Amino acid sequence: MYLTVRDATKLYGTFTALDRVSIGIEKGEFVCLLGPSGCGKTTLLRLIAGLADLDGGKITLEGADLSQMPARKRGFGIVFQSYSLFPNMTVAENIGYGLKIRGVPRSDIAARVAELLDLVKLPQVAENMPGQLSGGQQQRIALARAIAVDPQVLLLDEPLSALDAKVRAELRDQIRQVQRALGIPTLMVTHDQEEALALADKIICMNHGSVVQAGTPEDLYHRPATRFVAQFMGISNLLTPEDVTRLFPDLLPPRPATPKAQLACIRPEQVDITPAADGTAMVRSISFLGNLRRLEVDSPVGPLTVETHGTNPCRTGDPVSLRVAPDACTWVIDDAPAPKAVPA
Amino acid sequence: MSASETIRRPSRHRTFDSDRLLTAACVGLPLLGLILFFAYPMLIVFLRSITVDEGYGMGNYVQVLGSSGFWRATRHSLAMGGATTLLSVFLGFIIAQGLYRCAFPGKWLIRAVIVLPLLAPSLVQALGLIFLLGRNGVISRALGVEIEIYGFWGLLIANTLYALPQAVMIIGAALVLLDARTYEAADVMGASPWRQFRDLTLPSARFGILNAGFVCFIITITDFGNAAVIGGDYSVLATEIYSQVVGQRNFNMGAVVGIMLLLPTVIAYAIERQAMKRQQAGQTTGQVAYRPVFAPLRDLGMAGLSLLICAAIVAVIGIVVYASFVTLWPYNMSLSFKHYDITLAGGYSSLWMTILISLGAAVGGTIAVFLLGLGLRRLPQALAQPVQILAAMPAAVPGMVLGLAYILTFNSTATPLYLLYGSAALIGIVNFYHYHTQGFLTVMTGFRQLPPALEEAAGSLGAGLGRTARDVVAPFIAPMLVSVFFFLFMRSMVTLSAVVFLTTPQLSVAAVTIMRLDDAGLTSQAAAFSTCVMAVVCGAVLAMKMILALMQRRRG
Repeated sequence: MYLTVRDATKLYGTFTALDRVSIGIEKGEFVCLLGPSGCGKTTLLRLIAGLADLDGGKITLEGADLSQMPARKRGFGIVFQSYSLFPNMTVAENIGYGLKIRGVPRSDIAARVAELLDLVKLPQVAENMPGQLSGGQQQRIALARAIAVDPQVLLLDEPLSALDAKVRAELRDQIRQVQRALGIPTLMVTHDQEEALALADKIICMNHGSVVQAGTPEDLYHRPATRFVAQFMGISNLLTPEDVTRLFPDLLPPRPATPKAQLACIRPEQVDITPAADGTAMVRSISFLGNLRRLEVDSPVGPLTVETHGTNPCRTGDPVSLRVAPDACTWVIDDAPAPKAVPA
Repeated sequence: MSASETIRRPSRHRTFDSDRLLTAACVGLPLLGLILFFAYPMLIVFLRSITVDEGYGMGNYVQVLGSSGFWRATRHSLAMGGATTLLSVFLGFIIAQGLYRCAFPGKWLIRAVIVLPLLAPSLVQALGLIFLLGRNGVISRALGVEIEIYGFWGLLIANTLYALPQAVMIIGAALVLLDARTYEAADVMGASPWRQFRDLTLPSARFGILNAGFVCFIITITDFGNAAVIGGDYSVLATEIYSQVVGQRNFNMGAVVGIMLLLPTVIAYAIERQAMKRQQAGQTTGQVAYRPVFAPLRDLGMAGLSLLICAAIVAVIGIVVYASFVTLWPYNMSLSFKHYDITLAGGYSSLWMTILISLGAAVGGTIAVFLLGLGLRRLPQALAQPVQILAAMPAAVPGMVLGLAYILTFNSTATPLYLLYGSAALIGIVNFYHYHTQGFLTVMTGFRQLPPALEEAAGSLGAGLGRTARDVVAPFIAPMLVSVFFFLFMRSMVTLSAVVFLTTPQLSVAAVTIMRLDDAGLTSQAAAFSTCVMAVVCGAVLAMKMILALMQRRRG
């Protein structure tokens, strides 16, 4: 591991913001800390940045302990949700500030600033003041400022949350491109699962100050470990073993034997839906979402969500039959329900 | 293993970090100043008030409380404070309502005129009234009546003019907060303008009005200049301290009266701070500013009233400037510069000295409150809070009491602080600590607007505290620093109450010179000297406006 956090603990009075959290980032890896607000993900990022002090545990970079090192000596780059460009400096001065502090000659700074402005595709704004730029532009400058000093780690604190949808998607791709090109190990905090799925090599899903599950985006989406992860990573149908027995009996055999309370997690696109006069389920409503159709279906065990691509003959009120392939179901631990995820 | 076993408390003993040392210095030095030049002198005043021949006792209090002179002065102070408060809040509300809730042209003129009394030593109002309504006053002579301007009525008018700018500013700030959409909603619901005023405007402005009332009360009962010039036989607590200390050289008794004057101001100040908090609590973000539309009956009436009040201010201040040029008031009204040749010993030296002292107080004071604000941000709340409370305390202390505290503290050979006595530096210091609270609170407002992420961004780019302060924090709150600088400069130029005890025959300041000129019967020269002070302060105001406008433009 390049950057390691071991048993990180942070208390605010009697509130435990982080409870013995351990994570790691490999060289060149893009890691997303994902979780609902208040789950401790920003606290963890601030501890790594050196903006807050650990109450327990250890943070090491290539084996060297960082705990006693103030933020300014860590050599990390950070981008905040609020852009946080220095309003009294021009764009070029903002980007070059870290280099100026390091005593880099003026001409070298100018060359590096020009190069970075090209990299973030804003070559013409060097002499503008931050206030003259749009939010998306400001955030790109903030990104350029953070990577100007060749940071050992790039920390992104919800960098896209303040932007509107279209700009967000653009900047998301740009962040990914820049990170890939420079190979900077990056840790991004986000509460948006779609963002995490699109960007991350590894997602660390957090809740209540602890890591719930860490893995690749595919792992977390297709093989969630708990009900919380299943619900947080997109839409899922969660069925009790009894429900499964009634509705999809052939899904039962792969169920692991662990004694914990378990639920079957079936993603909406894994359900085959066909009109059938003798079907036991009925289509209650259909939302057309462009690339797909989302159907709310009343089944004998309660409402289910089904998504279909392309044309589908089902109409509201139709009786339908449902089928799920045996390998399309994951058994998850029934922990706590997650706040409802925002549908894509 | 439970969580608590593995959790280490935040370590207090981190490895050496120069930023921690710098933070300690940022808070420590201004704090040392506050203790040495505010807390300690106030303690001395208290101790002196209970000092009797052999040790401590309540003898002085018994003596003061038993004297009819003290009770008369107290009665007068409270009556004058109450009357001035009512009048200035009433007039201030009219002007604020006109400025922020009515539509008529020429508001800039009202705004400009209303601050005039702040740009002059307080005794200028009194001088102006004497030139207007005194025995040889313009109005008295024109009407052929003899008006007794010395005493309650003259002092009431002078104090009201002096307190009015504060009332307008505070009430105006409360009125500006009212959201236009609230009024649109009321319109749609069919509320008449009068109902809107009664049900929306008045209730929302009530804390502003309350706040203005307490501020006016404090200003009035602590003011010395007006009372000294136009009070006549109407003795108030401020003049009582002066006569005890300067007239009878009775320092302990002066200390007792000072403590007695401190009581009402501390109470009023405490209530005012609470009212201020309640008013701020009512603020919401994303407001839509109220844009009044022209309503002839309301607006012409309000414009007329506002202009009338402004005319009175212009008349009182203007007559002083005019009189300074009149050859021999009221017998030879031809104009000349002869009164600008100051005949009192020292001449204009005190004016230059005052400018120098004011610059020193402004520079040193601005730096001190900036460092304090910078350091407090990095201190845990439990440590920062007591410092903040101490920093906000000087506003509760009347200038007379602070001045008296200084003379008792620094004119004693018991400590090395004696070296400062009689120096210009000490006058600069007393001016700064007299107005410490306002400067500190202004800078803190600036610091509150500074997003923590800006400093964190600078920190993660490698900037230490010193560098962050210089490159990021100071430029961000520069407008506040400019305001504090000029506020301290202007107050130091015109203040009288705190410095009146600290001047010596060799070292005087402008306001004291004006008082001496007036005492010596050289009223026209006093007017001339006042005009010079006002010219300097007006120049400072213009410079401040220009600098702030330039900053605004550069930031885009």
